[in-house]
Amino acid sequence: MEVAVKKILAALGLALFLGLAWAQSVSQILDLVEKNLSEPWQALVQGEIQGPGGREALQARVYALPKERLFRIEFLKPGSLEGNFTVVTEKEVWNYLYLTNQLVISPKEKAQVQGLGFSPQGLGDPKALSERVSLHLAGEERLPEGVAWKLVGEAKEGQGFARLELYVLKADPRPVRFLFLDEGGKVLADLRVVEFKRASLSPAQLKRYPKDAQVVRR
Amino acid sequence: MRAWALCLLLGLALAQGRLEAGLYGAPGGLTPALEAAFSLGEGEVYAKGQVGRGALGYLGSLSLGPLGFLAYGVQGEVGEGGVGGALFLEGGAGPVALEGRLGFRPQAALPLFPEASFFGRLALRYRASPKEVLGLEVAQNAPPRSPSFGLQPGWEGAFRLEGSYAFRPEATYTLGLGVSPWPYALLGFKGEVGEEGEVLDLLLRLGGVNRLEAGLYLGEASLHLTLSYPWAGSFVVWLGDLGLEAGYHHAPYAWVRYAWRWP
Repeated sequence: MEVAVKKILAALGLALFLGLAWAQSVSQILDLVEKNLSEPWQALVQGEIQGPGGREALQARVYALPKERLFRIEFLKPGSLEGNFTVVTEKEVWNYLYLTNQLVISPKEKAQVQGLGFSPQGLGDPKALSERVSLHLAGEERLPEGVAWKLVGEAKEGQGFARLELYVLKADPRPVRFLFLDEGGKVLADLRVVEFKRASLSPAQLKRYPKDAQVVRR
Repeated sequence: MRAWALCLLLGLALAQGRLEAGLYGAPGGLTPALEAAFSLGEGEVYAKGQVGRGALGYLGSLSLGPLGFLAYGVQGEVGEGGVGGALFLEGGAGPVALEGRLGFRPQAALPLFPEASFFGRLALRYRASPKEVLGLEVAQNAPPRSPSFGLQPGWEGAFRLEGSYAFRPEATYTLGLGVSPWPYALLGFKGEVGEEGEVLDLLLRLGGVNRLEAGLYLGEASLHLTLSYPWAGSFVVWLGDLGLEAGYHHAPYAWVRYAWRWP
Protein backbone atom coordinates (compact mmCIF):
# COMPACT_ATOMS: atom_id res chain seq x y z
CA MET A 1 0.00 0.00 0.00
CA GLU A 2 2.76 2.38 1.04
CA VAL A 3 4.72 1.51 -2.11
CA ALA A 4 1.66 2.22 -4.28
CA VAL A 5 1.15 5.64 -2.63
CA LYS A 6 4.85 6.44 -3.19
CA LYS A 7 4.55 5.44 -6.85
CA ILE A 8 1.45 7.62 -7.31
CA LEU A 9 3.18 10.57 -5.60
CA ALA A 10 6.26 10.04 -7.76
CA ALA A 11 4.10 9.91 -10.91
CA LEU A 12 2.27 13.08 -9.84
CA GLY A 13 5.59 14.78 -9.12
CA LEU A 14 6.91 13.75 -12.51
CA ALA A 15 3.71 14.99 -14.21
CA LEU A 16 3.97 18.31 -12.33
CA PHE A 17 7.63 18.62 -13.28
CA LEU A 18 6.89 17.84 -16.93
CA GLY A 19 3.93 20.27 -16.87
CA LEU A 20 6.19 23.03 -15.57
CA ALA A 21 8.82 22.09 -18.12
CA TRP A 22 6.26 22.26 -20.97
CA ALA A 23 4.84 25.57 -19.64
CA GLN A 24 8.29 27.04 -19.52
CA SER A 25 9.02 25.69 -22.98
CA VAL A 26 6.22 27.70 -24.63
CA SER A 27 7.64 31.00 -23.42
CA GLN A 28 11.16 29.82 -24.27
CA ILE A 29 10.07 28.84 -27.76
CA LEU A 30 8.35 32.18 -28.30
CA ASP A 31 11.45 33.95 -26.99
CA LEU A 32 13.56 31.97 -29.48
CA VAL A 33 11.13 32.98 -32.26
CA GLU A 34 11.24 36.61 -31.17
CA LYS A 35 15.05 36.59 -31.14
CA ASN A 36 15.26 34.78 -34.48
CA LEU A 37 12.76 37.17 -36.11
CA SER A 38 14.10 40.38 -34.62
CA GLU A 39 15.44 41.65 -37.98
CA PRO A 40 13.14 42.71 -40.87
CA TRP A 41 11.70 39.77 -42.83
CA GLN A 42 9.06 38.91 -45.39
CA ALA A 43 7.20 35.73 -46.29
CA LEU A 44 4.35 34.34 -48.30
CA VAL A 45 1.50 32.79 -46.33
CA GLN A 46 -0.79 30.45 -48.22
CA GLY A 47 -3.47 27.90 -47.58
CA GLU A 48 -7.21 27.64 -47.23
CA ILE A 49 -9.71 29.63 -45.21
CA GLN A 50 -13.39 29.18 -44.49
CA GLY A 51 -14.74 32.33 -46.17
CA PRO A 52 -18.33 33.61 -46.15
CA GLY A 53 -18.98 31.67 -49.36
CA GLY A 54 -17.25 28.41 -48.37
CA ARG A 55 -13.64 27.23 -48.51
CA GLU A 56 -11.34 29.58 -50.39
CA ALA A 57 -7.66 29.71 -51.19
CA LEU A 58 -5.79 32.40 -49.28
CA GLN A 59 -2.45 33.85 -50.24
CA ALA A 60 -0.91 36.83 -48.52
CA ARG A 61 2.47 38.47 -48.41
CA VAL A 62 3.63 39.37 -44.90
CA TYR A 63 6.21 42.10 -44.24
CA ALA A 64 7.60 42.57 -40.75
CA LEU A 65 9.65 45.13 -38.87
CA PRO A 66 9.62 43.35 -35.49
CA LYS A 67 11.64 45.96 -33.58
CA GLU A 68 9.12 48.66 -34.54
CA ARG A 69 6.27 46.16 -33.94
CA LEU A 70 5.07 46.98 -37.43
CA PHE A 71 3.57 44.37 -39.77
CA ARG A 72 1.88 44.50 -43.17
CA ILE A 73 -0.20 41.73 -44.73
CA GLU A 74 -1.04 42.16 -48.43
CA PHE A 75 -3.78 39.87 -49.69
CA LEU A 76 -3.27 38.23 -53.09
CA LYS A 77 -6.04 35.58 -52.89
CA PRO A 78 -9.02 35.18 -52.84
CA GLY A 79 -9.67 37.48 -55.80
CA SER A 80 -12.23 39.53 -53.84
CA LEU A 81 -9.49 40.53 -51.36
CA GLU A 82 -6.71 41.16 -53.89
CA GLY A 83 -5.41 44.68 -53.36
CA ASN A 84 -6.62 44.79 -49.75
CA PHE A 85 -4.01 44.97 -47.01
CA THR A 86 -3.75 45.12 -43.23
CA VAL A 87 -1.11 47.10 -41.36
CA VAL A 88 -0.60 46.38 -37.67
CA THR A 89 1.20 49.09 -35.72
CA GLU A 90 1.94 49.14 -31.99
CA LYS A 91 -1.46 50.65 -31.17
CA GLU A 92 -3.61 50.44 -34.31
CA VAL A 93 -4.81 48.15 -37.06
CA TRP A 94 -5.24 49.66 -40.54
CA ASN A 95 -7.39 47.85 -43.08
CA TYR A 96 -7.20 49.11 -46.66
CA LEU A 97 -10.11 48.09 -48.87
CA TYR A 98 -9.36 48.29 -52.57
CA LEU A 99 -12.93 48.30 -53.86
CA THR A 100 -14.08 51.24 -51.74
CA ASN A 101 -10.60 52.85 -51.61
CA GLN A 102 -10.92 53.30 -47.85
CA LEU A 103 -8.33 53.00 -45.13
CA VAL A 104 -10.15 52.04 -41.93
CA ILE A 105 -8.03 52.74 -38.84
CA SER A 106 -9.08 51.11 -35.56
CA PRO A 107 -7.43 50.94 -32.15
CA LYS A 108 -6.02 47.42 -31.64
CA GLU A 109 -8.56 46.56 -28.95
CA LYS A 110 -11.45 47.34 -31.34
CA ALA A 111 -9.93 45.57 -34.33
CA GLN A 112 -11.52 42.16 -34.06
CA VAL A 113 -11.88 40.25 -37.27
CA GLN A 114 -15.32 38.84 -37.80
CA GLY A 115 -15.98 36.40 -40.58
CA LEU A 116 -12.40 35.73 -41.67
CA GLY A 117 -11.96 32.84 -39.21
CA PHE A 118 -8.40 33.77 -38.35
CA SER A 119 -6.42 36.68 -37.05
CA PRO A 120 -4.30 38.28 -39.78
CA GLN A 121 -2.51 40.34 -37.12
CA GLY A 122 -1.09 37.14 -35.61
CA LEU A 123 0.54 35.97 -38.84
CA GLY A 124 3.40 38.39 -38.41
CA ASP A 125 3.63 38.49 -34.64
CA PRO A 126 3.29 35.09 -32.86
CA LYS A 127 4.16 36.61 -29.48
CA ALA A 128 1.22 39.04 -29.76
CA LEU A 129 -0.92 36.10 -30.88
CA SER A 130 0.11 34.17 -27.77
CA GLU A 131 -1.31 36.99 -25.62
CA ARG A 132 -4.73 36.18 -27.05
CA VAL A 133 -4.36 32.40 -27.05
CA SER A 134 -3.29 30.39 -23.98
CA LEU A 135 -0.74 28.16 -25.73
CA HIS A 136 0.86 24.99 -24.44
CA LEU A 137 3.40 22.64 -25.98
CA ALA A 138 1.82 19.50 -27.45
CA GLY A 139 4.97 17.80 -28.69
CA GLU A 140 6.96 17.79 -31.89
CA GLU A 141 6.03 16.91 -35.47
CA ARG A 142 7.97 16.30 -38.64
CA LEU A 143 6.84 18.71 -41.35
CA PRO A 144 8.18 19.09 -44.92
CA GLU A 145 10.25 22.05 -43.65
CA GLY A 146 11.78 19.99 -40.79
CA VAL A 147 11.01 19.07 -37.20
CA ALA A 148 8.63 21.56 -35.57
CA TRP A 149 7.30 22.24 -32.10
CA LYS A 150 3.50 21.99 -32.00
CA LEU A 151 1.92 24.65 -29.79
CA VAL A 152 -1.83 24.44 -29.22
CA GLY A 153 -4.24 26.59 -27.24
CA GLU A 154 -7.70 27.96 -26.67
CA ALA A 155 -8.41 31.50 -27.89
CA LYS A 156 -9.75 34.16 -25.58
CA GLU A 157 -13.21 35.42 -26.46
CA GLY A 158 -13.82 37.57 -29.55
CA GLN A 159 -10.85 36.39 -31.65
CA GLY A 160 -12.95 34.93 -34.48
CA PHE A 161 -11.62 31.43 -33.79
CA ALA A 162 -11.72 29.09 -30.77
CA ARG A 163 -8.50 27.10 -31.02
CA LEU A 164 -5.08 27.51 -32.58
CA GLU A 165 -2.35 25.07 -33.55
CA LEU A 166 0.95 26.78 -34.23
CA TYR A 167 3.97 24.92 -35.63
CA VAL A 168 7.40 26.42 -34.98
CA LEU A 169 10.43 25.16 -36.88
CA LYS A 170 13.11 23.93 -34.45
CA ALA A 171 16.18 24.41 -36.66
CA ASP A 172 15.28 28.03 -37.52
CA PRO A 173 12.75 29.09 -34.85
CA ARG A 174 9.88 30.69 -36.77
CA PRO A 175 6.24 29.76 -37.38
CA VAL A 176 5.71 27.55 -40.43
CA ARG A 177 2.07 26.58 -40.06
CA PHE A 178 -1.04 28.09 -38.44
CA LEU A 179 -4.22 26.07 -37.96
CA PHE A 180 -7.24 28.05 -36.75
CA LEU A 181 -10.27 26.01 -35.59
CA ASP A 182 -13.78 26.75 -34.33
CA GLU A 183 -15.47 25.36 -31.16
CA GLY A 184 -16.48 22.17 -33.00
CA GLY A 185 -12.95 21.52 -34.25
CA LYS A 186 -13.74 22.60 -37.81
CA VAL A 187 -10.75 24.08 -39.61
CA LEU A 188 -11.33 27.80 -40.26
CA ALA A 189 -7.93 28.42 -41.73
CA ASP A 190 -4.92 26.23 -42.49
CA LEU A 191 -2.01 28.44 -43.47
CA ARG A 192 1.60 27.64 -44.24
CA VAL A 193 4.51 30.09 -44.30
CA VAL A 194 6.59 29.75 -47.46
CA GLU A 195 9.19 31.91 -49.22
CA PHE A 196 10.53 33.22 -45.92
CA LYS A 197 13.47 35.60 -46.23
CA ARG A 198 15.24 38.42 -44.42
CA ALA A 199 14.61 41.70 -46.19
CA SER A 200 15.50 45.35 -46.17
CA LEU A 201 12.28 47.17 -45.22
CA SER A 202 11.40 50.61 -43.92
CA PRO A 203 8.42 51.83 -41.84
CA ALA A 204 7.37 54.09 -44.74
CA GLN A 205 7.18 51.07 -47.08
CA LEU A 206 5.00 49.14 -44.66
CA LYS A 207 2.69 52.11 -43.98
CA ARG A 208 2.26 53.07 -47.63
CA TYR A 209 -1.29 53.47 -48.92
CA PRO A 210 -2.85 55.20 -51.96
CA LYS A 211 -2.86 58.96 -51.47
CA ASP A 212 -6.45 59.27 -52.66
CA ALA A 213 -7.77 56.75 -50.11
CA GLN A 214 -10.51 57.94 -47.78
CA VAL A 215 -9.15 57.59 -44.24
CA VAL A 216 -11.81 56.49 -41.74
CA ARG A 217 -10.87 56.56 -38.04
CA ARG A 218 -13.02 54.45 -35.72
CA MET B 1 -28.80 73.85 -14.74
CA ARG B 2 -25.51 75.68 -15.18
CA ALA B 3 -23.65 72.70 -13.66
CA TRP B 4 -25.36 70.34 -16.13
CA ALA B 5 -24.42 72.61 -19.02
CA LEU B 6 -20.80 72.75 -17.79
CA CYS B 7 -20.70 68.94 -17.40
CA LEU B 8 -22.09 68.55 -20.92
CA LEU B 9 -19.52 70.99 -22.36
CA LEU B 10 -16.70 69.27 -20.46
CA GLY B 11 -17.87 65.85 -21.69
CA LEU B 12 -17.98 67.07 -25.27
CA ALA B 13 -14.56 68.68 -24.98
CA LEU B 14 -13.06 65.41 -23.65
CA ALA B 15 -14.77 63.23 -26.28
CA GLN B 16 -13.02 62.66 -29.60
CA GLY B 17 -14.42 65.24 -31.96
CA ARG B 18 -14.20 67.63 -34.86
CA LEU B 19 -15.24 71.23 -35.37
CA GLU B 20 -15.41 72.68 -38.86
CA ALA B 21 -15.97 76.37 -39.45
CA GLY B 22 -16.42 77.94 -42.85
CA LEU B 23 -17.40 81.07 -44.72
CA TYR B 24 -19.24 80.95 -48.03
CA GLY B 25 -19.38 84.02 -50.24
CA ALA B 26 -21.53 84.69 -53.32
CA PRO B 27 -22.99 87.89 -54.86
CA GLY B 28 -25.93 87.60 -52.36
CA GLY B 29 -23.62 88.00 -49.36
CA LEU B 30 -21.54 86.01 -46.89
CA THR B 31 -22.80 82.89 -45.09
CA PRO B 32 -20.96 81.49 -42.07
CA ALA B 33 -21.35 77.74 -41.54
CA LEU B 34 -20.43 75.51 -38.64
CA GLU B 35 -20.29 71.74 -38.15
CA ALA B 36 -19.41 69.85 -34.95
CA ALA B 37 -19.08 66.09 -34.49
CA PHE B 38 -18.40 63.98 -31.38
CA SER B 39 -17.57 60.28 -31.11
CA LEU B 40 -20.27 58.29 -29.42
CA GLY B 41 -19.56 54.59 -28.97
CA GLU B 42 -19.08 53.03 -32.41
CA GLY B 43 -20.25 56.13 -34.28
CA GLU B 44 -20.46 59.90 -34.10
CA VAL B 45 -23.21 62.37 -33.49
CA TYR B 46 -22.97 65.64 -35.40
CA ALA B 47 -24.71 68.98 -35.70
CA LYS B 48 -24.33 71.45 -38.53
CA GLY B 49 -25.90 74.74 -39.25
CA GLN B 50 -25.89 78.01 -41.12
CA VAL B 51 -28.27 80.95 -41.35
CA GLY B 52 -31.69 79.54 -42.24
CA ARG B 53 -31.05 75.83 -41.73
CA GLY B 54 -29.66 73.34 -39.21
CA ALA B 55 -29.30 69.57 -38.95
CA LEU B 56 -28.61 66.91 -36.37
CA GLY B 57 -27.34 63.50 -37.40
CA TYR B 58 -25.72 60.23 -36.41
CA LEU B 59 -23.13 58.23 -38.35
CA GLY B 60 -22.36 54.65 -37.34
CA SER B 61 -20.01 52.06 -38.77
CA LEU B 62 -19.22 48.38 -38.78
CA SER B 63 -15.76 47.11 -39.63
CA LEU B 64 -15.29 43.61 -41.05
CA GLY B 65 -11.49 43.79 -40.91
CA PRO B 66 -9.86 43.03 -44.28
CA LEU B 67 -13.23 41.82 -45.60
CA GLY B 68 -14.99 45.17 -45.64
CA PHE B 69 -16.52 48.17 -43.94
CA LEU B 70 -20.02 49.57 -43.70
CA ALA B 71 -21.07 53.08 -42.63
CA TYR B 72 -24.63 54.24 -42.13
CA GLY B 73 -26.28 57.40 -40.95
CA VAL B 74 -29.41 59.41 -40.46
CA GLN B 75 -29.88 63.18 -40.53
CA GLY B 76 -32.84 65.36 -39.51
CA GLU B 77 -33.13 69.02 -40.52
CA VAL B 78 -35.16 72.12 -39.74
CA GLY B 79 -35.08 75.44 -41.51
CA GLU B 80 -36.59 77.76 -44.06
CA GLY B 81 -39.20 75.97 -46.17
CA GLY B 82 -39.76 73.20 -43.61
CA VAL B 83 -38.21 70.07 -42.23
CA GLY B 84 -36.02 67.61 -44.14
CA GLY B 85 -33.93 64.54 -43.63
CA ALA B 86 -31.61 62.02 -45.19
CA LEU B 87 -30.45 58.41 -44.81
CA PHE B 88 -26.98 57.13 -45.76
CA LEU B 89 -25.49 53.69 -46.28
CA GLU B 90 -22.13 53.04 -47.85
CA GLY B 91 -19.31 50.54 -47.81
CA GLY B 92 -18.28 47.20 -49.15
CA ALA B 93 -17.87 43.56 -48.23
CA GLY B 94 -15.86 41.11 -50.32
CA PRO B 95 -16.58 41.70 -54.03
CA VAL B 96 -19.55 44.09 -53.55
CA ALA B 97 -19.59 47.79 -52.71
CA LEU B 98 -22.42 50.29 -52.50
CA GLU B 99 -23.02 53.95 -51.82
CA GLY B 100 -26.56 54.99 -51.08
CA ARG B 101 -28.21 58.15 -49.90
CA LEU B 102 -31.82 59.23 -49.94
CA GLY B 103 -33.31 62.45 -48.66
CA PHE B 104 -35.71 65.30 -48.90
CA ARG B 105 -35.19 69.02 -48.42
CA PRO B 106 -37.77 71.67 -49.41
CA GLN B 107 -35.07 74.05 -50.68
CA ALA B 108 -31.30 74.16 -51.02
CA ALA B 109 -29.20 76.22 -48.61
CA LEU B 110 -25.61 76.68 -49.72
CA PRO B 111 -23.01 75.67 -48.69
CA LEU B 112 -23.99 72.92 -46.21
CA PHE B 113 -27.28 71.82 -47.80
CA PRO B 114 -26.80 71.90 -51.59
CA GLU B 115 -29.43 69.33 -52.62
CA ALA B 116 -33.10 70.29 -52.98
CA SER B 117 -36.42 68.44 -53.24
CA PHE B 118 -36.15 64.63 -53.29
CA PHE B 119 -32.54 63.64 -53.78
CA GLY B 120 -30.80 60.31 -53.85
CA ARG B 121 -27.96 58.28 -55.21
CA LEU B 122 -27.40 54.56 -55.34
CA ALA B 123 -24.10 53.32 -56.75
CA LEU B 124 -23.39 49.59 -56.84
CA ARG B 125 -20.06 48.06 -57.78
CA TYR B 126 -19.22 44.41 -58.26
CA ARG B 127 -15.70 43.03 -58.55
CA ALA B 128 -16.15 40.51 -61.34
CA SER B 129 -12.47 39.50 -61.23
CA PRO B 130 -9.46 40.83 -59.32
CA LYS B 131 -8.80 43.40 -62.07
CA GLU B 132 -12.34 44.16 -63.30
CA VAL B 133 -15.17 46.09 -61.62
CA LEU B 134 -18.69 46.56 -62.96
CA GLY B 135 -20.63 49.61 -61.78
CA LEU B 136 -24.23 50.80 -61.89
CA GLU B 137 -25.34 54.18 -60.61
CA VAL B 138 -28.71 55.86 -60.43
CA ALA B 139 -29.03 59.37 -59.03
CA GLN B 140 -31.47 62.23 -58.80
CA ASN B 141 -30.48 65.74 -57.70
CA ALA B 142 -27.28 64.44 -56.13
CA PRO B 143 -23.60 65.25 -56.83
CA PRO B 144 -21.59 62.39 -58.31
CA ARG B 145 -18.35 62.66 -56.34
CA SER B 146 -17.26 62.52 -52.69
CA PRO B 147 -17.53 65.65 -50.50
CA SER B 148 -13.80 66.35 -50.98
CA PHE B 149 -14.78 67.62 -54.47
CA GLY B 150 -16.78 70.39 -52.77
CA LEU B 151 -20.06 71.68 -54.16
CA GLN B 152 -19.44 70.27 -57.68
CA PRO B 153 -21.72 72.73 -59.51
CA GLY B 154 -23.35 71.60 -62.73
CA TRP B 155 -25.22 68.49 -61.58
CA GLU B 156 -28.28 70.24 -60.13
CA GLY B 157 -31.73 68.95 -60.97
CA ALA B 158 -30.60 66.09 -63.18
CA PHE B 159 -31.54 62.43 -63.21
CA ARG B 160 -28.64 60.12 -64.06
CA LEU B 161 -28.41 56.44 -64.88
CA GLU B 162 -24.91 55.18 -65.58
CA GLY B 163 -23.25 51.83 -66.20
CA SER B 164 -19.47 51.37 -66.17
CA TYR B 165 -16.72 48.83 -66.63
CA ALA B 166 -13.35 49.44 -64.97
CA PHE B 167 -10.21 47.40 -65.55
CA ARG B 168 -6.69 47.83 -64.22
CA PRO B 169 -3.73 46.35 -65.99
CA GLU B 170 -1.68 48.75 -63.79
CA ALA B 171 -3.65 52.01 -63.66
CA THR B 172 -7.46 51.82 -63.69
CA TYR B 173 -9.31 52.66 -66.91
CA THR B 174 -13.09 53.15 -66.92
CA LEU B 175 -15.53 52.95 -69.83
CA GLY B 176 -19.23 53.60 -69.47
CA LEU B 177 -22.51 54.77 -70.85
CA GLY B 178 -25.22 56.85 -69.22
CA VAL B 179 -28.42 58.83 -69.75
CA SER B 180 -29.23 62.19 -68.14
CA PRO B 181 -31.73 62.38 -69.90
CA TRP B 182 -29.73 62.18 -73.19
CA PRO B 183 -27.13 59.47 -73.71
CA TYR B 184 -23.49 60.15 -72.97
CA ALA B 185 -20.20 58.26 -72.85
CA LEU B 186 -17.92 57.93 -69.84
CA LEU B 187 -14.12 57.69 -69.94
CA GLY B 188 -11.92 57.46 -66.88
CA PHE B 189 -8.32 57.07 -65.78
CA LYS B 190 -6.93 56.64 -62.31
CA GLY B 191 -3.35 55.80 -61.48
CA GLU B 192 -0.16 56.72 -59.69
CA VAL B 193 1.75 59.49 -61.42
CA GLY B 194 4.67 60.15 -59.07
CA GLU B 195 7.49 58.47 -57.19
CA GLU B 196 5.73 58.97 -53.85
CA GLY B 197 2.42 57.41 -54.88
CA GLU B 198 0.67 60.60 -56.03
CA VAL B 199 -2.63 59.71 -57.67
CA LEU B 200 -4.34 61.32 -60.66
CA ASP B 201 -8.06 60.64 -61.11
CA LEU B 202 -9.77 61.81 -64.33
CA LEU B 203 -13.38 61.24 -65.38
CA LEU B 204 -14.87 62.65 -68.57
CA ARG B 205 -18.53 62.50 -69.64
CA LEU B 206 -19.26 63.47 -73.24
CA GLY B 207 -22.54 63.66 -75.16
CA GLY B 208 -25.80 64.35 -73.34
CA VAL B 209 -23.64 65.42 -70.38
CA ASN B 210 -20.39 67.29 -70.90
CA ARG B 211 -18.33 67.28 -67.77
CA LEU B 212 -14.75 66.78 -66.59
CA GLU B 213 -13.89 65.79 -63.03
CA ALA B 214 -10.24 65.64 -62.00
CA GLY B 215 -8.48 64.98 -58.73
CA LEU B 216 -4.75 65.09 -57.96
CA TYR B 217 -3.80 63.61 -54.59
CA LEU B 218 -0.38 64.57 -53.24
CA GLY B 219 -0.71 63.33 -49.66
CA GLU B 220 -1.53 66.15 -47.23
CA ALA B 221 -2.57 68.30 -50.20
CA SER B 222 -5.10 67.50 -52.90
CA LEU B 223 -6.57 69.40 -55.86
CA HIS B 224 -10.04 68.87 -57.34
CA LEU B 225 -11.47 70.33 -60.52
CA THR B 226 -14.95 70.06 -61.99
CA LEU B 227 -15.87 71.66 -65.30
CA SER B 228 -19.28 71.37 -66.99
CA TYR B 229 -20.95 72.69 -70.11
CA PRO B 230 -23.34 74.64 -69.89
CA TRP B 231 -20.62 76.50 -68.04
CA ALA B 232 -20.24 75.66 -64.39
CA GLY B 233 -17.20 74.54 -62.48
CA SER B 234 -15.19 74.54 -59.29
CA PHE B 235 -11.63 74.28 -58.10
CA VAL B 236 -10.94 72.93 -54.62
CA VAL B 237 -7.62 72.79 -52.78
CA TRP B 238 -7.22 70.83 -49.55
CA LEU B 239 -4.12 71.61 -47.47
CA GLY B 240 -4.51 69.24 -44.55
CA ASP B 241 -7.71 70.37 -42.84
CA LEU B 242 -7.93 73.70 -44.69
CA GLY B 243 -10.28 73.70 -47.67
CA LEU B 244 -10.33 76.47 -50.28
CA GLU B 245 -12.95 76.39 -53.02
CA ALA B 246 -13.73 78.79 -55.82
CA GLY B 247 -16.31 78.17 -58.50
CA TYR B 248 -18.90 79.44 -60.89
CA HIS B 249 -22.55 78.51 -61.19
CA HIS B 250 -24.68 81.33 -62.68
CA ALA B 251 -22.40 83.55 -60.53
CA PRO B 252 -18.97 83.22 -58.92
CA TYR B 253 -18.68 81.90 -55.37
CA ALA B 254 -15.98 81.01 -52.84
CA TRP B 255 -15.94 78.81 -49.77
CA VAL B 256 -13.20 78.67 -47.13
CA ARG B 257 -13.33 76.13 -44.31
CA TYR B 258 -11.10 74.70 -41.65
CA ALA B 259 -11.51 71.67 -39.38
CA TRP B 260 -10.08 71.24 -35.87
CA ARG B 261 -9.84 67.69 -34.62
CA TRP B 262 -9.23 66.45 -31.08
CA PRO B 263 -7.76 64.79 -29.14
